[in-house]
Amino acid sequence: MLTIEKLDELGCDTSDGLKRCMDDREFYLSLVPGAFDKKRYEALEKKINEGDLKNAFEDAHALKGVLSNLAITPLFDVINRMTELLRAGEKVDYGPLIAEMWEVQKKFEINL
Amino acid sequence: MDTFFKDVFKFKRRVLVVDDEPVNRRMLEKILSPGYEVLLAGNGDEALNVIKREKKVLSVVLLDLLMPGTDGYEVLEIMQKDGELKKIPVIVLTSDTSAEVKSLKMGAADFIPKPYDVADVILARIEKTIQLFESIKIVNATELDPLTGLYNKEYFMEYARSYDRYYPDRKMDAAAVNINRFHALNEIYGRSFGDELLMMLGRAISDYAGRSDGIACRYDADGYFLYVPSGHDIPDELSKVIADHETDDMRNIHIRVRFGIYPDVDREYDVLRRFDCALLACNSIKGDYKERAAFYDSSMHEREAYSERLMADMEKGLADRQFMVYYQPKFDIQGDEPVLSSAEALVRWDHPALGMISPVQFIPVFEENGMIRRLDRYVWREAARQIAEWKKEFGFTIPVSVNVSRIDLMELSFIDEITGIMEEAGITAGEYLLEVTESAYTEDSDRIIDVVKKLRSLGLKIEMDDFGTGYSSLNMLSSLPIDVLKLDRGFIKNIHRSEKDLKMVELIMDIAEYLDLKVVAEGVENEEQYALLKKAGVHLIQGFYFSRPVPAPEMEKFIKERLLYADDRKA
Repeated sequence: MLTIEKLDELGCDTSDGLKRCMDDREFYLSLVPGAFDKKRYEALEKKINEGDLKNAFEDAHALKGVLSNLAITPLFDVINRMTELLRAGEKVDYGPLIAEMWEVQKKFEINL
Repeated sequence: MDTFFKDVFKFKRRVLVVDDEPVNRRMLEKILSPGYEVLLAGNGDEALNVIKREKKVLSVVLLDLLMPGTDGYEVLEIMQKDGELKKIPVIVLTSDTSAEVKSLKMGAADFIPKPYDVADVILARIEKTIQLFESIKIVNATELDPLTGLYNKEYFMEYARSYDRYYPDRKMDAAAVNINRFHALNEIYGRSFGDELLMMLGRAISDYAGRSDGIACRYDADGYFLYVPSGHDIPDELSKVIADHETDDMRNIHIRVRFGIYPDVDREYDVLRRFDCALLACNSIKGDYKERAAFYDSSMHEREAYSERLMADMEKGLADRQFMVYYQPKFDIQGDEPVLSSAEALVRWDHPALGMISPVQFIPVFEENGMIRRLDRYVWREAARQIAEWKKEFGFTIPVSVNVSRIDLMELSFIDEITGIMEEAGITAGEYLLEVTESAYTEDSDRIIDVVKKLRSLGLKIEMDDFGTGYSSLNMLSSLPIDVLKLDRGFIKNIHRSEKDLKMVELIMDIAEYLDLKVVAEGVENEEQYALLKKAGVHLIQGFYFSRPVPAPEMEKFIKERLLYADDRKA
């Protein structure tokens, strides 16, 4: 189970995330699993692989918003870089970024 | 204003959070719910439904911009195009600086960046936005007339002063615009129609003020002010704009608007005084339906003071019986000698300070403020009482005619009132005559004809007054329910000097004969006129030739003469 301590250990800035949740730890922790929903990352990967960069941008942008609000810093960093490339419509090789995304996502997911 | 907000900011405002991300929605809900009632929407369409449903009570919308389907930009655009939704402040939720600028340009009130600031910052921004919009609404509510959306008088005067400061050398006209007989229209057609009329005129005036680089306000019930640069023909130009805005119903009842213009205002006068002058000009043509516009001149102040005095004194005048009913006899001239036939009741005002006042002076004043209704009823009652009194004293009836206006006929209670007055006096319908002006039949004639038919079915005789001044067509005349035509004095005035006028009277006599109507000539002043009218076959004569209108005791002299005449005939 993800705890505040564990999240901090994994590089999150939970004190920042908690401020937006009126310092209600329970409430904050109830929101956290939503940020690691596997299906959303799968959908993002699929859109990138299909070359649907416009919709991939919307998915990445939405994830970025959630991750930044909850201060899930490591995953936010990856998704933020991806979002900016997608926003610009860059047709680059997203493979390494996707791999990095999954690597970080899994670190959290296994602790859910 | 701060104190105001301290008081009214106590209750929980309603806030809508629109975000497709459940985490973001819940987070904002958590932050806002202690101080606000929070509504949530997960997409643009859902948000628009809530906004439309809650528009009267929604204090702010927190709107995410990037959402699948209808996105935040579209929601913002739809809201900005809607006059009501536009008044609800929108705070956009965004992580992009470029989106912040774009949304502010599109009408957003503020933005909250993502990731969200600490809760206190968010709450402070929301509170500030709500305060700002509520204070704008309060200012708007106090400066605008709620019915027409025009400025109210106080703000208008302030804006006029500002206008002068910006354009100190510009020549300006002050104009007052009024609806003729608005109170009567309100009574006849109902208040909602009256409101529609005021709104229509408000739109037309606002439209015209915009086109002519001027400003406008509604200063009282049916009165508007305009302040526009000189060089416009306001009555003509504004009448055309009004015609474009009128509904068919308004067109059918011939709404008339009158204008008072104070051209090239004197800048030495305060704006209030300038509009007083325009209003004076406007009031100077109250009741004069031939004049659409009047221009201010300094003598108007004296006349206005006189009218004000008459209005102020009317109440006491009625209570003290200063209003006297005079009677002008009508003589039947069909026989060898003229014989008293009936009389017309006419009102005079014996004012304790101003002396005897002619109805020409006070009736238009009373017509405008609605007091005429009470005066009319006073005269009707007095005339009915007099008929009964003479009948009792002399043993026979001298019918008396009273004047009724178009407005009287349109009142639902009119027939009951007339029958009530006759019953109260103890006279029959055949002893009481009603004079209705020809012009009364020209507007909403079906309704008037219907009422007049009912009156005739009760036995009342109807005289058409001022015949020849209105617009009755021959065709219309044949279908009007009347018994007597009263030729307007205009026909009689030159009958002894003008062949054409005489021919006209003869022509009317032919028509009257064909329609089986009696004809009364009024305004007969001399022997020549009398002789010509008798020869033309006119049935009855009324005018100074026989007698001016006289008080009841003097009228009795004519009644006694008729008694003597009858006795002679018997002998």
